Order: sequence, then C-alpha cells, then structure tokens
Amino acid sequence: MLWTGLSPDEARTYLEEKDKSKRDKRMTMTEAVKRFVKDGDNIGVGGFVNSRQPVAIAHEIIRQGRKDLILSFQSAGLVPDYLLGAMALKPDHLSVQRMEFAYNGHEYAGTSSMLRYMTENEKIFIEDWTNFSMSARFKTASMGLPFMPIRSGQGGDIEKCNRSQVIECPFSKRDILLIPACHPDVGILHVQEADIYGNCRIKGQTFTCPEIAMASKNVIVTCEKLVDHQIIAMDPTRTSIPFFAVDAVVEIPFGCYPTVCHDVHYYDKIHLEHFKGLTDAFRKGDRESLAAYYDTYIFDVADTDEFIGKIPYKQLKYARQTESRSLELQTRLTPPAA
Amino acid sequence: MTDYATDFSPGEMIVTAGARQLENNKVIFAGTGLPMVGITLAQLTSGPGIIPVFEAGAVGPTLDRGLPLSVGDSRTTSRANYIQGLNSAFELTQRGFIDIGFIGGAEVDPYGNLNSTMIGDFPQNYMKPVVRLPGSGGAGDMSCSCTYTILIVQHEPRRFVEKLQYCTSMGHMDGSKDARKKAGLQGKGPKRVITTKALMGFDDETKRMKILATMPGETVQSVQDATGFELMVDKDVYEFAPPTQTEIKLIREVIDPTQIFCKR
Repeated sequence: MLWTGLSPDEARTYLEEKDKSKRDKRMTMTEAVKRFVKDGDNIGVGGFVNSRQPVAIAHEIIRQGRKDLILSFQSAGLVPDYLLGAMALKPDHLSVQRMEFAYNGHEYAGTSSMLRYMTENEKIFIEDWTNFSMSARFKTASMGLPFMPIRSGQGGDIEKCNRSQVIECPFSKRDILLIPACHPDVGILHVQEADIYGNCRIKGQTFTCPEIAMASKNVIVTCEKLVDHQIIAMDPTRTSIPFFAVDAVVEIPFGCYPTVCHDVHYYDKIHLEHFKGLTDAFRKGDRESLAAYYDTYIFDVADTDEFIGKIPYKQLKYARQTESRSLELQTRLTPPAA
Repeated sequence: MTDYATDFSPGEMIVTAGARQLENNKVIFAGTGLPMVGITLAQLTSGPGIIPVFEAGAVGPTLDRGLPLSVGDSRTTSRANYIQGLNSAFELTQRGFIDIGFIGGAEVDPYGNLNSTMIGDFPQNYMKPVVRLPGSGGAGDMSCSCTYTILIVQHEPRRFVEKLQYCTSMGHMDGSKDARKKAGLQGKGPKRVITTKALMGFDDETKRMKILATMPGETVQSVQDATGFELMVDKDVYEFAPPTQTEIKLIREVIDPTQIFCKR
C-alpha cells in the first residue's frame, strides 16, 4: 500500500512522541509555514469549495515556495487553484505533484481552469475520490484506524482509479468498499475563533476541518479572532478542535477572504470572479494577466495585512454586510461595482 | 382553468418540472443551482414540508437569506435544524435518511449512469484527459445511497450517449437484475431524468430510459433526435404542462430575482 503523507503506524508513533502540552502556540504566518510545511508534504486542505478556504496560509506557502506537494481535500476551489496557478507560473518555485480529491471547481462560477490546465497537459498525478470517501479517509485517520468500510463509491470507475478496495463484507456477505486512512503531514485550516493553545470554535458547518486536524501530523490554524481561554473553558461543548491537535495559531482576520466565513463575511464575488477569469484566460494562453495578479496580491505583499489592504473597503464592507442577514436587509444594500 | 405562463425560459421549465416531482415531507439532498431553485419552489407551492439537506452539513434550512451559491455556503444554514459536516451528511445518506437526491453530469447513458469526471479515453488517458471536469463531489455518494435520484442533464446528443467515457455516479449500472444490490449499493437508483426537452423515467424490466412526457413545444421525435441512444416511449406519453403564472412569479420575484441560476 502506498501511503501518501504518513502511514497509520508512522502517524501513531509521531503522536506518541509529540509534545502535547497546553502551551501558547501563537506565531507569525511566516514562522508557521517555515516550521510545518516541507517539500513533498501531503497537505490536508480545510474548508469546502469556496467556504473557509485557508487562503492566507496558501498565500504564504506560495510566497515561500515548496516542491512536490500533495493536496488532499474533499471539495475545494480557491486554494488548489492558487497553488496550481503558482506552479503554472513558477514551476521551479512551487510545485504540486499529486492531488487526492473529490471535486475541484467553483460551483456557480464554473469549472477549475487550473485543474484543466494541469491534467490536460499531464503535469500532475490525480486520484479521484467522492466527497464521502475523501471525508471518511480523514475520519478514519482521526479515529486511529488504517481503513474503514463505507457503502459509497463502488461500482463505477472511481474505485478503479484510487486505492480503495471492494471486499465481501464478512457479516452481511454483500460487497462493500474499504478506504485507506489519510494522514496529511500538515493540515491547513481557517476557523472563526481559537485560543492561544489552539482550541478552535467553528461556526456553521464544520466541513471536515475537525477530522483533518485530528488526522494530520501537524496543524496550522488561522483564526478570525483570538479569544480568551476562559471563553472556551466556559462552554467546552462548543470546542470543535482540541488544543493538542494544533501546532500553530495565527490570528488573521479575513484569513479565508475572498471565500465565505460563516457569520463573519460572505464571498467577495468580485475578487473571486476576477481571479477565476484570469485562470480561464491563462488556460487560453494569456499568461501575463495571471502573473500580474500573483505579483500584485501575493509575491509583492508581505502578508495578509497587505493583501487585504489592496481590496477596496467597499468590497470588504459588502461581504460583511451580506453575511447572515435576511434577504430583505441585503436588498437595501448597494453592491460595489466590479 | 389553470393559468399557464406563455413566456418562460428552459431553466424555468426544468425548475418547475423538478419541483413537481417532489412529494411533500420528503428529505431532499440538494445540489447547487437549479435543484435549489426547484426545492424552494416546491416548498412555496405543493411541498411546504420538504426538508432540504446540504452535503456540507446543513439539515432542514429555510433558504430565506437568498439562494446559496454553493452547497457549503453559509446561506444553506439559515434556520437549519442541525448542522455538522460532510461525514455527518453522508452518514445520514448511508443510513437511509435521504429520500431523494438531485444529481447531474456532463454525460448520461441509457441506464442513468453519469459522468462528471473526464472526457477522454479511460483508463488509458486518465492522467491526460481531453477535458477534465470537476469530479464527483458528492454526486457519486448520492447515487449510491439516496433512496432514489432525479437527474438533471442538458439534452444534447453528445451528452446522452450509449456508453459513458467515465462512470462517476451509478444509475442502474448495466441494467441487469439486482445490479445495484450486487455491487453493494443501497438506494434504488435514478427514478426520473429532467431535461429541457422531456421528463423521463426508466423501464421496469430493462432499466433503460423511457420518455414519460415531452416538454411544451417538443415531440417524441424531437426528443429522440436530441438523444444519442434509442429511448423507450411510455404508452401513456403526454405533454408536460408548462409553468403556471404563479410558479414563474415565484421563481422570478421571490426565489431567484437576480437570475443566479435561472436565466431568462
């Protein structure tokens, strides 16, 4: 069996020897990526399509540059596109060798031109899964199991191009699919709230963020807001990820911008569609426009402060004002012009 | 007498047809786009008790903050009863809580199997497809475990093909008796196919696709002409009723006023 990331035995041994102390894990984004993201790593990407994508972490990985990365996720849009776009522009600086995933696209805004470019030109190795099988792979790992049976994903062509296996269930005597655990080297997640120790509170859907955190060797968390530990301890049933699963906490408001952060801000459709349009143009031969975007928003800025500083205030405000509000209140707002 | 609309778009016809297939009080697994509009239309007309479930984790919301642009969007959680994540949503499906799933794809075959992965030679060119599509997402899972599925596909000969280039989501598989059960799948498979040209079902014996009704302005022949394989025709084939004025008004003024999914 090929284990991308850690094998179950390696993951277990690493955790046994890991410092699990309840200590202050705040650090800068630069330091977090420097310490926990290495060449060849399998990266577990948190969020779902264009919701709570760990954009700030992805930008820093792109700035620092890494080689031969593996991306594992169920459904994602912006983060794989950012990383694949960086590889398309500067393959000697950043490269992705493999993706294990169920969906890479933008739903209402269409298919991923970066996925198309990379696969249609045979530049990366891909392994297709389904949303459940990929989510269950993280869950399997989070439970300390090497595999799990699921009743999903067998019978078609997906099982032929991934490492799942169909067996006859020893109890029911019916065919069932076995999926292998996925232990990423590093999980990258954006959440609404965390304390200095790494206890995280996710608002809205958890996607597979808790499972990725428990499955990964190391975890970098960006949070909209750092909260007092007392707040967490007052209502620990609301803790989605416990501190000892987390290695780095970086407070970065708008750390998943322009994707949705439940209860904080809605999409910035203008920025998302702008980037998406540039990737579409790249696939059709216009390299310069995409390269200019990367220079402006990623390479020539030091951090997320400077990235967000380039977004017009009206767009940030509108994304905030359109989140968690009735349609009636939303329709009174004037959308910013693209 | 029913007051039918005379001016409606293909998208509005699909949404209306989708809504009319939904029984009240059923649990519906909703995909992005037209299915969300259809479910909301059903909730506002014949099915106020319909319970939408979104794969990213929201159960039983009321979509009153505007149409979500994604099944993971925060708008899918508005007034939800229960919110977890993807594993939970698919465990509900695996357990049997989901009655109907809406799924789509770039290609469909006579047995309702779908392709949303790649165009090209599989398996030889899996790593170098002619066109790479986004992938299964949750469709492959919904096809396995929802009690039954409703397919929405654009009706063109190149999309309705005798043989798929890649099978992402299982329908009635090869059409043989108990094919799904033998493969370890649980749900009953596709029950309806909705397109801009026809409402279709599947023959009880052969499991092949069958025209149940033609959409306004279409004929059995025009539907067959747009299909890359031979369709069966139900003995009671009829013309599907166009959207009513009320349905069109709800779609345009209440559900999708900015035409995110339902273009006019």
